[in-house]
Amino acid sequence: MLKDITIGQFFPGQSPVHKLDPRIKIILTLAYIVMLFMTGNAFGFLIPIVFLIVLYLIAHIPLKMILKSMKPIVPIIIITAVLNLFFVDGDPLWSWGIFTITKNGVAMSIMMAVRILCLIAGTSLLTYTTSPIALTDGIERLLSPLKKIHFPAHELAMMMTIALRFIPTLIEETDKIMSAQKARGADMETGGLIQRAKALVPILIPLFISAFRRAEELALAMECRCYHGGEGRTRMKQLHLSLRDAVASLVVAACIAGIVCINIFVTVGNF
Amino acid sequence: MAELIKAQNLTFAYIREDEEEQPAPVLKDIDFSVKQGEFVAVLGHNGSGKSTLAKHFNAILLPTEGTVTVAGMDTRDEEHLFDIRQNVGMVFQNPDNQIVATVVEEDVAFGPENMGIEPAEIRRRVDDALKAVDMYGYREHSPHQLSGGQKQRVAIAGVIAMRPGCIVLDEPTAMLDPKGRREVLKTIHALNEEYGTTVVLITHFMDEAVSAGRVVVVDNGTILTQGTPREVFSQVELLKQAGLDVPQVTELAYELRKEGFPIPPDILTEQECVAALAMLLKEGSDCRQS
Repeated sequence: MLKDITIGQFFPGQSPVHKLDPRIKIILTLAYIVMLFMTGNAFGFLIPIVFLIVLYLIAHIPLKMILKSMKPIVPIIIITAVLNLFFVDGDPLWSWGIFTITKNGVAMSIMMAVRILCLIAGTSLLTYTTSPIALTDGIERLLSPLKKIHFPAHELAMMMTIALRFIPTLIEETDKIMSAQKARGADMETGGLIQRAKALVPILIPLFISAFRRAEELALAMECRCYHGGEGRTRMKQLHLSLRDAVASLVVAACIAGIVCINIFVTVGNF
Repeated sequence: MAELIKAQNLTFAYIREDEEEQPAPVLKDIDFSVKQGEFVAVLGHNGSGKSTLAKHFNAILLPTEGTVTVAGMDTRDEEHLFDIRQNVGMVFQNPDNQIVATVVEEDVAFGPENMGIEPAEIRRRVDDALKAVDMYGYREHSPHQLSGGQKQRVAIAGVIAMRPGCIVLDEPTAMLDPKGRREVLKTIHALNEEYGTTVVLITHFMDEAVSAGRVVVVDNGTILTQGTPREVFSQVELLKQAGLDVPQVTELAYELRKEGFPIPPDILTEQECVAALAMLLKEGSDCRQS
């Protein structure tokens, strides 16, 4: 039952979006977030929305997946929208007691909702089109200039890789332990919240012990394979920037420039 | 032939600083050597010290007394630590706990990457190693999609990609099903025969030791006996004292001999056993006829 959980939600594919260098993809995702928060104009939002739709079409990500990734954030969107609806000053459209809805408030709450939706859809696109290993690789290389100030970039990436590697193993192990405890009469499906939480203890303790044991063995195996940290280590797969990456960067830069222009020159629909 | 691993008067105890009474040594005064290109099986029951012995071969454990040298390098010499570990690769029991990366080929590349080898050369070594263990078709798979035997073969590939002179396998088949065991043993034998890799196989399965070039029996921290499989397994009584079994066919021959049947004591394989029994039956019927 636990096997159904997929982490990273990577969709293997051969599209140009998949083939972008992971470093560039991470930077461009950050740029996209900046772009979303720079936009202060209703027309300005057309740019990030169209941009995202085009990318999803290029990457061939099914619509079902996008909707699925949106589901958990619906409450957040509603709360932000409601807060914005009531707490923005301006011309009152409707009021009842201490509650006032203003024209600005309506515009603001719609904008916030669109912004969060775009934010989640944009960052999801990164994990949909980049394999976890490429992602850690990209993060390691992006952070490597920080090694000069003793930032443990390699160690961080190594930890992420090992964590990703052991997720399926530990999930399988949890399944086994659960079956073993159920076979001995453990009850995990009934009772209130506290009782159920208590029922997790006999699963978590063996799981932790085995995880520590695994960690020790893995450390030994890594030492046997000459692991001694990031120093003097080479990589089999080298990342190369290509024309594709340059084009993608230019497109994002153009979008940001477009938003700046709209912010400055378009007066209709400003807030 | 040159001696690749050489242990002299090797004694080892897990010394604890906080306790006054020191525990009895796990290994006692062991003299042991492995020659280039050999296939050595180290046999012993649980707690006999065979794994502790194996961990001395690539400087995971250092001798309390005596010396261990690998290709002439003393394992206590920190300067040669990585040379030693590159020279003597180690494969452990649980394949899950020795695979580091989320993709098969990335894992095989882990060792060479640590050694700081050029990317193009790593690529070549990874491909060669995966082909040697017959896992090339799975190079882009994720380890958790593989069976136990396949994972263990990936672990072996990860070691041979470092181009070691010798691989030490510490009960590599203990956690595998019969099919996985056969796959792994076939791979180990192919490495020894086709690539000339020295193999030290630590095991408690008798049938795995039968096909080795030399068998060393470890019991209670000392070497009980060693020699060719035929020499070792004909000493049925000695092995039984050490809590070890002998291959089933050897045991059958041994019991028959005890009952007074003239059957050779050094039978190792089923074919030999069948031939010997057929001979015995034929002689028996000849006797009765005449």
